[in-house]
Amino acid sequence: MSDEEHHFESSDAGASKTYPQQAGTIRKNGYIVIKNRPCKVVEVSTSKTGKHGHAKCHFVGIDIFTAKKLEDIVPSSHNCDVPHVNRTDYQLIDISEDGFLSLLTESGDTKDDLRLPTDENLVKQIKDGFAEGKDLVVSVMSAMGEEQICALKDIGPK
Amino acid sequence: MQGFSDGITGADLAQLQSTMHTIEVACTSIQMQINPTAAEATILSLSQSPQRYKACQFILENSQMANARFQAAAAIQDAAIREWGFLSTEDRISLISFCLCFVMQRASSPEGYVQAKVSSVAAQLMKRGWLDFTAAEKEMFFYQVNQALLGAHGVDVQFIGVNFLESLVSEFSPSTSSAMGLPREFHEQCRTSLELNYLKTFYRWARDAALSVTNKIIESDAAIPEVKVCTAALRLMLQILNWEFRHDTNSMKAGINVFSAGVRRPECVLVQPGPAWCDVLISSGHVGWLLSLYAALRQKFCHEGYWLDCPIAVSARKLIVQFCSLTGTIFPSDNGKMLENHLLQLLSGILQWIEPPDAVSKAIEEGKSESEMHDGCRALLSIATVTTPFVFDQLLKAIRPFGTLTLLSTLMCEVVKVLMTNNTDEETWSWEARDILLDTWTILLVPLDGNGGDAFLPREGKQAAANLFAMIIESELKVASASVANDDGDSDYLQASISAMDGRLISYALIARGAIDVTIPLLTRLFSERFERLHQGRGIIDPTETLEELYSLLLITGHVLADEGDGETPLVPSAIQTHFVDIIEADKHPVVVLSGSIIRFAEQSMDPEVRATVFSPRLMEAVIWFLARWSHTYLMPFEEAANCHLSHDYEHQHQSIHSRKSLLSFFGEHNQGKIVLNIIVHISMMTLMSYPGEKDLQDSWHDLANAFTNEKSLFLLSSANQRSLAQTLVLSASGLRNSEASNQYVQGLMVHMTTYLVELSNKKDLKSVAQQPDIIMSVSCLLERLRGAASAAGPRTQRAIYEIGISIMNPVLLLLEVYKHESAVIYLLLKFIVEWVDGQISYLEAQETASVIDFCMRLLQLYSSHNIGKISISLSSTLISEAKTEKYKDLRALLQLLSSLCSKDLVDFSSDSDEVAGTNIAQVVFFGLHIVTPLISLELLKYPKLCHDYFFLLSHILEVYPETLPQLNSEAFAHILGTLDFGLHHQDLEVVNMCLGALKALASYHYRETCAGKTGLGSHAAGQGNLPEGIFSQFLRSLLQLLLFEDYSPDLVSAAADALLPLILCEQELYQRLGNELIERQANSTLKSRLANALHSLTSSNHLSSTLDRVNYQRFRKNLNSFLMEVRGFLRTM
Repeated sequence: MSDEEHHFESSDAGASKTYPQQAGTIRKNGYIVIKNRPCKVVEVSTSKTGKHGHAKCHFVGIDIFTAKKLEDIVPSSHNCDVPHVNRTDYQLIDISEDGFLSLLTESGDTKDDLRLPTDENLVKQIKDGFAEGKDLVVSVMSAMGEEQICALKDIGPK
Repeated sequence: MQGFSDGITGADLAQLQSTMHTIEVACTSIQMQINPTAAEATILSLSQSPQRYKACQFILENSQMANARFQAAAAIQDAAIREWGFLSTEDRISLISFCLCFVMQRASSPEGYVQAKVSSVAAQLMKRGWLDFTAAEKEMFFYQVNQALLGAHGVDVQFIGVNFLESLVSEFSPSTSSAMGLPREFHEQCRTSLELNYLKTFYRWARDAALSVTNKIIESDAAIPEVKVCTAALRLMLQILNWEFRHDTNSMKAGINVFSAGVRRPECVLVQPGPAWCDVLISSGHVGWLLSLYAALRQKFCHEGYWLDCPIAVSARKLIVQFCSLTGTIFPSDNGKMLENHLLQLLSGILQWIEPPDAVSKAIEEGKSESEMHDGCRALLSIATVTTPFVFDQLLKAIRPFGTLTLLSTLMCEVVKVLMTNNTDEETWSWEARDILLDTWTILLVPLDGNGGDAFLPREGKQAAANLFAMIIESELKVASASVANDDGDSDYLQASISAMDGRLISYALIARGAIDVTIPLLTRLFSERFERLHQGRGIIDPTETLEELYSLLLITGHVLADEGDGETPLVPSAIQTHFVDIIEADKHPVVVLSGSIIRFAEQSMDPEVRATVFSPRLMEAVIWFLARWSHTYLMPFEEAANCHLSHDYEHQHQSIHSRKSLLSFFGEHNQGKIVLNIIVHISMMTLMSYPGEKDLQDSWHDLANAFTNEKSLFLLSSANQRSLAQTLVLSASGLRNSEASNQYVQGLMVHMTTYLVELSNKKDLKSVAQQPDIIMSVSCLLERLRGAASAAGPRTQRAIYEIGISIMNPVLLLLEVYKHESAVIYLLLKFIVEWVDGQISYLEAQETASVIDFCMRLLQLYSSHNIGKISISLSSTLISEAKTEKYKDLRALLQLLSSLCSKDLVDFSSDSDEVAGTNIAQVVFFGLHIVTPLISLELLKYPKLCHDYFFLLSHILEVYPETLPQLNSEAFAHILGTLDFGLHHQDLEVVNMCLGALKALASYHYRETCAGKTGLGSHAAGQGNLPEGIFSQFLRSLLQLLLFEDYSPDLVSAAADALLPLILCEQELYQRLGNELIERQANSTLKSRLANALHSLTSSNHLSSTLDRVNYQRFRKNLNSFLMEVRGFLRTM
């Protein structure tokens, strides 16, 4: 790890995008920053250097936005960056021609700056649901300045 | 039935020849890999063709192709087993004698596998008809076999005869028999009959066959055909001695006889044929013949055709080893004289294989085969299983100046030496020899059943054990220091290495305890040498080798000094209790000295500087492991236990009391205990804080802390954040004087956690705060701790834990809301609730139950509202499948929650349990099921554990509260039945069983209700809307379909019968209709009437009535069993 230092006073207004946490305490299904990307940890294993050496953690993470697989090895007592991952639910109002979504926030405002994902399958899942006239709630996941839809939920009348 | 013994007409002949041709072509094409499926189908159709028997016999007799003959034999077997029920007795006999004659006549055929197949077909058919044939009919076959064995028709026929008997015995032995679709009773009866009436005769025939050729073999220098017969006969004898003899009635009475030592180590093979076998096995000089045969063979190993591993030598050796395991009432009660003579005779024959040990091992290293030496070791192992250490040692003294134990020790030292010099990971001969010999020591030294005392060795044996232990330690240390170089990573974790070595370590410990007064000082010396070396070399020399040696020594010493508790407090090993009698001063007691030196060493880890240089995580693991194991036994030994042991053996009583007492009380009374405890606890704290990333360590610590559950370890409060820690700490409350104090303690322990959660959930900006990684982490930790605490709830602490749960009910629901996307937290949350409810439910009063249940319902509703209809969207398939797995785990937790709620009806400790107005659990659970079932898709039921939990809950609910089922809405009802149908066709036996149980409950409930004039399941049963048939009709159909036409385990038949009976009673009309359909479909009139009769007797024989009581269920089980036996054979094939 070359970038051991953390810069908490990052450019965003006060709120840091990541949080330092000891490598040994990061579990599977948690989050971690690897190569400056927010990842979900899908595998943690520990290994030792030599019989009487200290443990190192080996992380396999999947980029939560691009789905790329990333790996990292960190001594278990060192700190890792953990991204702040937020999820917000919005009701889906409309899908515009140019690929932007129109979303209704809890406070009643609209949010119009979220693009549809690029992957066709995902777009299809969203568009199909919308076309069927279902009342859809989308969960938008945001971390380290990026955001993306991560789940759909039909809240239509039962 | 076509008479297959008829003469063959011209037209038939052409037909048969064309069949033969077809089969031959099919066999060739399978071999050439041309369209194998079609060829297979052709071959399979042979056993169902109209002239099957005739065609098969024709092929066997005429085909030039061995494969075709083999397939024909298989087809006979297949067809005959299937149709056995309707073959006439003559047909049956003629089939068997055809097979027998066939093999005898072609005894010299080069295609052995065809002969073996035909002879095994004969054997199987013989068994199939065993209970029906008359004694005379059997006699007829056996006369033929006996003639063959006598050698009247030449060596080849003799060999075939032996071979047939081998197939027969293996067909009758339960572990190797073919099922043939028959119930276990049948196999049991056959086995008993063979054991009582034939087995000994067969043995005698085999012996005579071997005897008849022995002289020729011994006299001839080259390999001659007789060798084959002799080998087969030896193999048959071995097979018979391997028989699991059951009917040695006398030995059951004399169960305490030392020599019927089956209780000692059940995994050892013991041969106990009973007194009837004495003449043939012992008094006839049989063993002498066998030994001299092998001795003669040994002379021939230099000749052409003979070598150490040639079949006849191997068989002879195996038989000799088997003779060493002979025990039980076959030996008369003459104080073991005859047994000793028998063993001595064997031992003197075996000695040549293993003596002198150094020469033997040298020869093997130089390329000689090791099998004879291994067999020699196995023979020693067998002898050890049937004798006491004393008798074992005495045996050799009759012919050597030393005892058998000394021989065993020298032999093993030799093996260990070889292991030490070429230390590889490959399994070498010395590796295997070491394992066999270690087993031998274990058998000899393991405490005799029940009384807990270690076996005592004779004096000379002690010396032998001491020598061996020193050698073992030397070798283990060498292996340890050498292993530093090869770093294989994962395989070296403590638990893994202990469990890999455990068997060995236990044996080492037994050997060490056999000579405890020598071995303890030896260990002390080895430790102090290494401590010294570490100290002097600190900072100068790389300590890794020494560390590894210490690691190894700690594991060994831990085993020598203390036993695994397995949940109980282990006693100080009796070898340690009864030795060192002359040592009066406690602090000079060798065990105290040894333990003290290790603890003082461990104490040095408190110094950060020493810790950094000496105490590597791996060494620390071993230290902690040792301390945990040691303190469990020594820190607070039970006084009563100590006293009771003191009165055990009267001879040394006076002297030894003092010494034992000094050992036992050393840590308890002289205030040494407190100091030691203090040291250990501080080491533990330090461990937790300084090695936080080392998970293994914390596990070890958990064990250690468990050993302290009798202590007030309040000062550990602030240390660590793990579930097991919380659990341990809460458990330690059970050591407090009364429940008030315990509850107070637990409350004090947990209050800051609940406060934190309450405060967090009260925050206005909870939603955004909660998402911060550090908050997520601390919430997760707290939930883990709470879960640990909840799982430790016992009668004393129940109150406090209940209040903890109640105080955070609202926060929990709020957290469930805010973390709905954070599946990892949700899971922890659910698990906490599951543990908490599970621990609490049986204690709660009605009022409390109501509020807990209300809470669970809200939780379930909330969870399902978050998850119904939710679709995860991600580019990554891994993340999608992770999400599925998480969902599966959540659901499993919810099912467990419902199951524990259910248990309230079964186990209830509350004071007002008979109050009628209590909450109706059934209703609640059904409501829960209503919420959870839509989340459980058939897809999710493919997870075995979830599937299991779900059906467990379902069958339980249906059995206990069937009356609530009609209240479900039709959607949920249909869903539940859909899953039931799915479960019925599941491959897991237990799942199917549970589904059948559920069906039984449902159907019998409905039947009873309707009989009583009520509606039962009402509209659900009648069928509605687009489903014209009611549910019971559907299930009746699918169950019958399953029973008659599909594959299932025979173990299911009883459960299926229990479900089928009420179904039939509910839907009698449909059942009649289905039965008629079945009969109509049958074209063959014989089979038609058979089926009709079978169906009739299924519901009428055995006085079956239309009530649902136990007797009736049992009758129906019997009926169904015989029905299936009668008809399944032809229904499935035609």
